[in-house]
Amino acid sequence: MSAKFLEKDILLEIEDLQIQGYSEETWIDIIKGVNLTLHRGEVLGLIGESGAGKSTIGAAAMGYARDGTRISGGRIEFDGIELTTATESDKRSLRGSRIAYVAQSAAASFNPAHKIIDQHTEAPVQYRIQKRLEAQEDAMKLYEQLRLPNPNEIGFRYPHQVSGGQLQRAMTAMAMSCRPDLIIFDEPTTALDVTTQIEVLAAIRDIVDQYNTAAIYITHDLAVVAQMADTIKVLLKGEEVEQASTVEMLENPQEDYTKSLWAVRSFKRPQKARPKDGTEPIISVKNIDAAYTGGVKVLDDVSFDIYPGMTVAVVGESGSGKSTTARCITGLLPPMAGEIQFKGDTLPPKYTDRSKDQLRQAQMIYQMADTALNPKVQINEIIGRPAQFYSGLKGTALKQRVDELLDLIELEPSKYYYRYPPELSGGQKQRIGIARALAAEPEFIICDEVTSALDQLVAEGILKLLDRLQRDLGLAYMFITHDLATVRSIADEVVVMQNGKVVEQGPKDKMFTPPHHPYTDLLLSSVPEMDPNWLTTLLEERGVDNIGEKADV
Amino acid sequence: MMFFVIGYYVFLLLASVVLSLFNQTKWFRMVFALFLVSIIVGIVGGAPALRAIAIFAALLATAAALSFAFKEFLILIVRPNLAKELRTAPLTASFGIFIIFTYAIAGTFAPWIAPYGQAEVIAGAFAPADANMLLGADQLGRDVFSRIIYGARNSVGLALISTLGAFILGALAGLLAAVKGGWFDQFMGRVADIIMSVPSLIFALLMLSIFGTKSWVIVLVVAIIYSPRVFRLTRAVAGNIVVMDYIEAAKLRGEGDWYLIRREILPNSTAPLIAEFGLEFVFVFLLIAGLSFLGLGIQPPTADWGSMVRENATLISFGDITPLIPAAAIALLTVSVNFVVDWMLWRSSGLKEK
Repeated sequence: MSAKFLEKDILLEIEDLQIQGYSEETWIDIIKGVNLTLHRGEVLGLIGESGAGKSTIGAAAMGYARDGTRISGGRIEFDGIELTTATESDKRSLRGSRIAYVAQSAAASFNPAHKIIDQHTEAPVQYRIQKRLEAQEDAMKLYEQLRLPNPNEIGFRYPHQVSGGQLQRAMTAMAMSCRPDLIIFDEPTTALDVTTQIEVLAAIRDIVDQYNTAAIYITHDLAVVAQMADTIKVLLKGEEVEQASTVEMLENPQEDYTKSLWAVRSFKRPQKARPKDGTEPIISVKNIDAAYTGGVKVLDDVSFDIYPGMTVAVVGESGSGKSTTARCITGLLPPMAGEIQFKGDTLPPKYTDRSKDQLRQAQMIYQMADTALNPKVQINEIIGRPAQFYSGLKGTALKQRVDELLDLIELEPSKYYYRYPPELSGGQKQRIGIARALAAEPEFIICDEVTSALDQLVAEGILKLLDRLQRDLGLAYMFITHDLATVRSIADEVVVMQNGKVVEQGPKDKMFTPPHHPYTDLLLSSVPEMDPNWLTTLLEERGVDNIGEKADV
Repeated sequence: MMFFVIGYYVFLLLASVVLSLFNQTKWFRMVFALFLVSIIVGIVGGAPALRAIAIFAALLATAAALSFAFKEFLILIVRPNLAKELRTAPLTASFGIFIIFTYAIAGTFAPWIAPYGQAEVIAGAFAPADANMLLGADQLGRDVFSRIIYGARNSVGLALISTLGAFILGALAGLLAAVKGGWFDQFMGRVADIIMSVPSLIFALLMLSIFGTKSWVIVLVVAIIYSPRVFRLTRAVAGNIVVMDYIEAAKLRGEGDWYLIRREILPNSTAPLIAEFGLEFVFVFLLIAGLSFLGLGIQPPTADWGSMVRENATLISFGDITPLIPAAAIALLTVSVNFVVDWMLWRSSGLKEK
């Protein structure tokens, strides 16, 4: 425990917390005895992979157990009030006024039918802390502190009229409305782009500092937690692994598990150069423009080449046209102008006009493995169908091919052959998605944010698998991502996109060394680093007032 | 009589004491409330009222016991994974399954179960029940019990075929509309709107008076009337599925519409469709019974519950409950199907907690 916080200033104390969840007609332990002490003004970072119980502990800090879970043991003491035995009405009077919660998706947490400021003032008016007009003035002050544009006006908009990053800041302001003693941030920046993430992080850090609010910051991103937290607690499967102050934790992790988390970002593979012997690019995107029906142009003169056996990373913020480019290549969205060439031959713009062999060549792996695999179809059919469809395999030959593919993606064939997708974990599902793409025996695969929904350790496994498959089978990848750490580890070439245009492209080493295009520079410098002073330094460099707005260069 | 009244109160009191001793708060509250209500009912209505309560409670208990035993029996004889599902079924659902089974058996083996033929005149008109005739005779002297058994075959069979027809028409159109989209979707939607805009009973009456009352006409007319509802549901359910990435993957693979419908969409939409099937079946059944009652459905002398109610309707003014028996058969089936459908909806809705 750092000496900065005094013993008498303890705000929240959780002792031997146990939470159970109901599944398959029995109660299963989710949280197996976690202790936690939080002082006034302290920010505690909770990290761990999904299923570690981070959010469950966050909710328990409010005395709340979600549907299907129950607090089965332990103590939760908030400022002298025992929450496990407190009545529902006592707990309700704490929530919102003294403990506030900021959810992952602000867009889903705001009521779309009410103006932002009306939702903001609801709590102070309800608890009779302020009159409505006072609360509105206070809201505007908070908006200003959180550096929202037009603080006097923005609150009178509806949630869909402001951007995601602004909404997340508005939500933080809302949590602040009653000046709570404790705020729980549940992955507040996970759904945001790196450039927007910085604004939100800086805003949250300032305001928490200013009002000496204690906070529990839940995330799976170590670099983010390093910026925000005074203390870090690492969780694994409902148990505490270790806890230490941020600096100590980063420099000197004790447990093996923590070390493995820290080591994830170290995976790198050697960069390949374009073939010099005049080989044709496998996919060549030539000056394509595209728009969704009747809308504005989302792609404007996009061109790039992908050579056999290479990985081209396409990066950019959401809405920059990365996925739309992929849709043009697969033929789901015929471009308005320009063409897609496959080994020098022009592909028909619509997928329905392409031949079986042309379809076979371009396979896709999707971001959300949950929606990419039919939950009611067995693994053997999911993987076997493309092989049967394209190569006409039947009977034992088909079964053999499926076994072979399962071996390729490192899943035991006998164990997974008859399973259904919902019975698999996230990483296993993504592997099945890869196997389905491989079953078509393509030379080119589009990977659409394949690792962004996965935990870091699992994501690293997937990246290693993709790398091995590339070496063994000579595949070319188009790797769509917004995560520059992934780009650093596996890309050969990088294409940077912004507002539907290619801003810059070239080999990775060149792209990561200055001088950059200003937008590339902004993207690169926005990626959080493990250094706890990274955010402070960055803000000093960029100047406090134009952190996010710089994105408009 | 005195013994019955005393026994009645003593039983209730003892039961509530025992329940409270075993901490069964919910049941204790119910039994004790019944005891208190019985005191008032006993004063107002006397022994016959108490007797009615006792009989009703006994019937309810019998039905519950029957459902429970039937459920346990089913769990024993079916495959393990189906048995696991059945274990979650409430008593109402197993009661529903039991009734549906009974009707199915009665309908299938009608000629062997019924003592007389459905058109066989064996007694005088409106002859009372005796050893030969369980429920007496109807207005032409036919055995009512035999006609009810045959009615299960005719009415339920016709309703089942009509509902199947409505489902094949509606579900196919809905799935195709969802997969194809564009103008085909619009066109099918407008056709459905037109059919739905005509009041169903009037449409049926019109069609049946034009084309006659042959049973294939009834089946076709009812199937067309009910297909738009199935179409709408199927299209909505499939519409949510066709936007999934796995459908996109299958489309990009070059799969045809029929494969998409059969292998990718149908397995994911069966639960709401089966539940809808149960509901539609009930509506179709009532429509056919209504048509028969109006004289435009199944034609005499074929036994049918709807027309049986109409033919014997005059008896009700003499205080005879014979016309209510086929009506009760309709009601019992309707309620049973709904019990089963409720359970299926509950299973597929994901609202399993609480």
